[in-house]
Amino acid sequence: MLILTRKIGEGIILGDDIRISIMEIRGKQIRIGIEAPQNVVVLREEIYQRIQEENLRAAGVRDVDLTEIAKIWKQKKD
Amino acid sequence: MTPDPQKTPAEPVSVTIATKNFGDIVVREDQIITFSPGLLGFSEFHRYVLIEHGQESPFLWLQSLDKPDLAFVVMDPAFVLPDYKIGPINGVQKELEVKSLQDLKVLVILTIPPGCPQDMTANLMGPLLINLANRRGKQLVLESSPYSHKHRVLPAKG
Repeated sequence: MLILTRKIGEGIILGDDIRISIMEIRGKQIRIGIEAPQNVVVLREEIYQRIQEENLRAAGVRDVDLTEIAKIWKQKKD
Repeated sequence: MTPDPQKTPAEPVSVTIATKNFGDIVVREDQIITFSPGLLGFSEFHRYVLIEHGQESPFLWLQSLDKPDLAFVVMDPAFVLPDYKIGPINGVQKELEVKSLQDLKVLVILTIPPGCPQDMTANLMGPLLINLANRRGKQLVLESSPYSHKHRVLPAKG
């Protein structure tokens, strides 16, 4: 892992079009500014993991009897 | 060099894929939905097709064309939560080149626990947006929304 030391107001450039800058340090919290193109996914790590793990779980559908599930669904609605 | 008309395909190109759930399916090029980047955790798979489960069913399959055994069960979030709203989407709208909001389809992925379909949940925090006009899609993550990634679809058994 590359480790860099930065001061408030200083930045880091990733590739040609991503800039990360240190905005503010308050005790144990750091505010970070991120400038990136629209198609780059920028998320807090724990949120990213939550959605990724849920996608993985959802993709585990194997031999699901969707017709049976649609019946349960219909009963619930009626 | 001018293209040789003999070699220009007159019919739309189609892809045949041997899926786990549906056997061999033939998908026309104009039915292919491209997620770029792919769904979170599946960034290397970009091409999908939506298959309706049936007339009486609210479910659809989102079948990968790049990985035959990869498929998701999805549905319109309005069936789960009638007032579901994804909030401002100007950025995504631009990215997917959405010209009319009528072209925008929103779907949510269902997680169906094996053996307990009653306990299935919908990922309302990570909806899929698809521009039906150009068939480009994206999984959105609603970071600061009240929605859960595990929203119960059916009531628990009493």
